[in-house]
Amino acid sequence: MVLKNMKLTVVFIFCLLASANAFAQTESGATAKQVVDKFQTELIAVMKNGKQLGYAGRYDKLYAPVSNSHDLTKIARIVVGKEWEKLSEAQQQKLVDIFIRLSVASYAHNFKDYSGESFVFDSEEETTRGGVVVHSHFIIPDDKPVKFDYMLKEKGNSWRIINIIANGVSDLALKRSEYTTILQREGFDALIAKINEKIDNYSKL
Amino acid sequence: MNKPYSGNRNAKIQQIISGMLIGAAISLSGCATTGVTEQQNIANKADPYEHFNRKMFGFNDTVDDYVAKPISDAYKWITPQFMQTGVFNFFSNLKNINVVINDVLQAKFAQSAHDTGRFALNTTMGLGGFVDVATHVGLEQNDEDFEQTLAVWGVPQGSYLVIPFLGPSTMRGIPGAAFDTAANPASYVGMPVQLISLLNTRANAEGSLKFIDEAALDPYVFTRESFLQWRNNLATDGKSESSLDLDAEWGEDGADSATKGGDTAADNKTVPAQHVSSENKYTRQEHELQLLPPSPSKIGSE
Repeated sequence: MVLKNMKLTVVFIFCLLASANAFAQTESGATAKQVVDKFQTELIAVMKNGKQLGYAGRYDKLYAPVSNSHDLTKIARIVVGKEWEKLSEAQQQKLVDIFIRLSVASYAHNFKDYSGESFVFDSEEETTRGGVVVHSHFIIPDDKPVKFDYMLKEKGNSWRIINIIANGVSDLALKRSEYTTILQREGFDALIAKINEKIDNYSKL
Repeated sequence: MNKPYSGNRNAKIQQIISGMLIGAAISLSGCATTGVTEQQNIANKADPYEHFNRKMFGFNDTVDDYVAKPISDAYKWITPQFMQTGVFNFFSNLKNINVVINDVLQAKFAQSAHDTGRFALNTTMGLGGFVDVATHVGLEQNDEDFEQTLAVWGVPQGSYLVIPFLGPSTMRGIPGAAFDTAANPASYVGMPVQLISLLNTRANAEGSLKFIDEAALDPYVFTRESFLQWRNNLATDGKSESSLDLDAEWGEDGADSATKGGDTAADNKTVPAQHVSSENKYTRQEHELQLLPPSPSKIGSE
């Protein structure tokens, strides 16, 4: 009996320690998996209220979750590649601002309602360059699941998404090709005009 | 890539030969123009014939707008959803013969048993393939074709090509498509079946095409990049660890060059086509059967 009690106590202490540990972790900044989890949960929550919220409502609700989980400034730099250096400071700022709006707008447009979708976590791995990849998949009822791999980098004491790879197609690579091509062929103003047009279409469709 | 050709064998051979001629013409015209395009597209080793490809892309787009899309829309409008699903299942089922052949050619013997079972079950219980019973018992559709087999065998991908009427492909994709066509029973039957096959293909691409339309700043580049990445992902069976590493590199490069002051040499390493590695072939991950990379637009299209 005494032995059993002791065992229980030990188990209890372990539980306490474990929860304290988990708490400490959130205190010091979320892990990569937690960042992705939180963002996916928030996205699904917005989808569930998607119809009532409307596009503007979804945009407002998603603004904070998207900008807190993604390192959009870094993404904006990466997608223009070496062209970044050729931009003036004002242009760089303009690009980052409009890129944030585009990112939120595309989420608000593409995840507009809910019919039982969910995200499932698969695994987590570290890359050679100090990043973390969170593998997950998005389940759509009566359709094939879509693989979502999130590539994260540490920023300050937290992790931020810098790339999303959907079924093997890297969003960063895709945008980088597009943006550098447009900058080389048509210039900065054309790029901004095209992004504005996309944001505009997202709000209407 | 399974485009219907004429049922007549001679005509088919002619088609293949003319395909090769087009290929040759493309490479020749490409040679003539590389000098000009080289300067513009330092970042595009995969697409030396961009100038020609862009024209073809524009041409295909026009054909799609004025011919294929209207017909496909009419098909979708007059055909009940269950019929469309049945037609889709029927043609997908026929493709499984080719999938099994390529499973074997790639030495994926377990998968070939799986796909044979799938084909047998759907052809019998699934009423000739119209009902996809196999998926419900856990025999998912795999996507294998001859182009992937060539990739597994180590044949390099070659340049990106936009083929008139058929759309995006690569040098390796041309013999791949010829083989796939030959291995598809739908290629040997009459016109109505082939027309329906074509309608089915176009109708199923609708979601992806709509997504490109909405998301692409430069539809040509968007299509090229997503096509090449998608094909690479299929050839490596969703195991594109190389692309993850490259992405990491880009992250560093992007940030570094941003803070350091532009490292152009580092940037040239980032050509997307370079993840055409034929390593990591034998892996367990399943993948999708789709015309183009899937898009989140499916999630709430209306």
